Amino acid sequence: MKYLTENNKNIYGYPNWRYKAFFVLIFGFISILIVGFIALNFGAISIQPKNILSILWHHKTDDSLGLIIWELRIPRLIMAMLAGMTLAGVGGAFQGILRNPLADPYILGVSAGAALGACTGIALQYITGLYLANLLPVLALIGSFISILMVYLFSRKKSHFPMTDLLLAGVAVNFFFSALITLLLAVSNRELHSMLFWLMGDLSNASWQKISIVFLPVFIGSFLLIYASLELNAMALGEEEALHLGIQTEKLRLKIFLIGSIMIAVVVSFTGLIGFVGLVIPHISRLLVGPDHRIMLPVSALIGAAFLILCDTIARTIIAPTEIPIGAITAIIGVPLFIHLLKRRNENNEY
Amino acid sequence: MNIKEPIIGLNNISFSYEIKPILMNIDLSVFSGEFIGIIGPNGSGKTTLLKLMSGILKPQRGQISLFNKDITMIPRKKLAKIISVVPQESYITYNYKVKEVVFMGRIPFIKQWQGETVSDYLISRNAMEKTNSLCHAEKGIHQLSGGEVQRVYIARALAQSPQILMLDEFASHLDLNYKHEMIRILKGTLQREVKCIVSVFHDLNLASFCADRLILLNEGKIEISGTPQEVINNENIKKVYKSRAHIIQHPELAIPQVIM
Repeated sequence: MKYLTENNKNIYGYPNWRYKAFFVLIFGFISILIVGFIALNFGAISIQPKNILSILWHHKTDDSLGLIIWELRIPRLIMAMLAGMTLAGVGGAFQGILRNPLADPYILGVSAGAALGACTGIALQYITGLYLANLLPVLALIGSFISILMVYLFSRKKSHFPMTDLLLAGVAVNFFFSALITLLLAVSNRELHSMLFWLMGDLSNASWQKISIVFLPVFIGSFLLIYASLELNAMALGEEEALHLGIQTEKLRLKIFLIGSIMIAVVVSFTGLIGFVGLVIPHISRLLVGPDHRIMLPVSALIGAAFLILCDTIARTIIAPTEIPIGAITAIIGVPLFIHLLKRRNENNEY
Repeated sequence: MNIKEPIIGLNNISFSYEIKPILMNIDLSVFSGEFIGIIGPNGSGKTTLLKLMSGILKPQRGQISLFNKDITMIPRKKLAKIISVVPQESYITYNYKVKEVVFMGRIPFIKQWQGETVSDYLISRNAMEKTNSLCHAEKGIHQLSGGEVQRVYIARALAQSPQILMLDEFASHLDLNYKHEMIRILKGTLQREVKCIVSVFHDLNLASFCADRLILLNEGKIEISGTPQEVINNENIKKVYKSRAHIIQHPELAIPQVIM
């Protein structure tokens, strides 16, 4: 076996994906730290970068500047990061498992369920006059779990889960809940603004307590998705080809669907519906590092995180102190970026 | 190992989708070194038979054995190390590089986290060399032509280092030069690593050219099985395909060819 030398690894054109993944991840983490630090500098109250460093280093929370950094800007930053990671990562996994580049994390109806839960809460708050803001995430979570359950039950045939039925059930549940939300919006007056804000995504309520709830599901879920990435690669060949490669496709689909939906449900309940990220960030990372899920999924998560930090910073500062819903910013910034990359790909004829 | 022991054995297989019967009372044995061709008109159950043999579908009646073991008792992952299948045509969702597609054939052998090893690389590279697709290794699969993609699929199947290779109409829309090349590649593997090849054929002439033994299906039953000479004759073709055809002998080889 004269081929078995280090040099030959390059000759037969297989750079080890683990080296590639390692460098990409290190690069990603460093960029997120930099983006995060830059984001901390912006806000309604301007604070010197020097002061921010000292506040961070000494963990100062005894003055107002320290509180702004530690209790307002950092939780918001971390929430944006977690939401971006989840939306982009789950979007990538769903696009892989459903073999559909148009899939996004909301395709199976999770978003509409969560939105209905939250909007019901907002409506109740105005009708009853009670303060329910802390209850909204719970209601959103209940709503999204109801929608997951409905999609699961509607698409199940004995022990089968045909892919088209899953997608159709998702679309149907989505439409049904969206119709109910429209009804709610139609009869709402004063509460319309906060409902619309929720529907477009809102990170202004981030807190350490909320982060502590979101953190665990997001990290366990991401780990499980990345663990399944080799099987997701096989799915690209087609359902039967994946079966021939020893993958239990229906089980895998159910697993990815449940993990992804639960992650999204938890995140969305605290942040509202942030659109665009879950659909397009996976495509951007595919354009950058190729479609191999073992690298593409972590890269999606990192780009998603950095992208949402950026968008949220813009959303809260561009016409400060008024905030813009982050969902509007994601699309306004993301679409030109995406079109540019798409055009470049077509010219280079790669990926 | 006893040479007379069949590698694949089908014992009185019946299969139906819902209530529509597709295959009835199929008995078939595939032996080591054989290239089996399954032929028959559209809807006669060719592809279904292949799916049963590769373990994708389960028969309602009868038993399928692989190396004398009931196929339903073999876990998917283990089955994937024995059988590999070249699909008729399939679309790969994202634009993977050719080498990545071929490498997917190694998935049944890779342990999660450990990732691929040097021997996995070598096997994939070898498969690409054999199918003349090494020159495309760095290209995206969507940039290749139909014939090149077919060769990549065969490379993918060979990378799975199968003992049994199954194909579904592998060359039906390929040009003449590609057909010859594919046949050469397949026969080459049959002599070395692969124990037997089972292929569905649409094209009777190609089937007669490739296979050692033909299985002629007619409305879910085996009409006749035997060498191309035995199977392809006026009487059988007229009965099964219900149309007139002329059978002539190949000018160089002792095989029948069908012309309209």
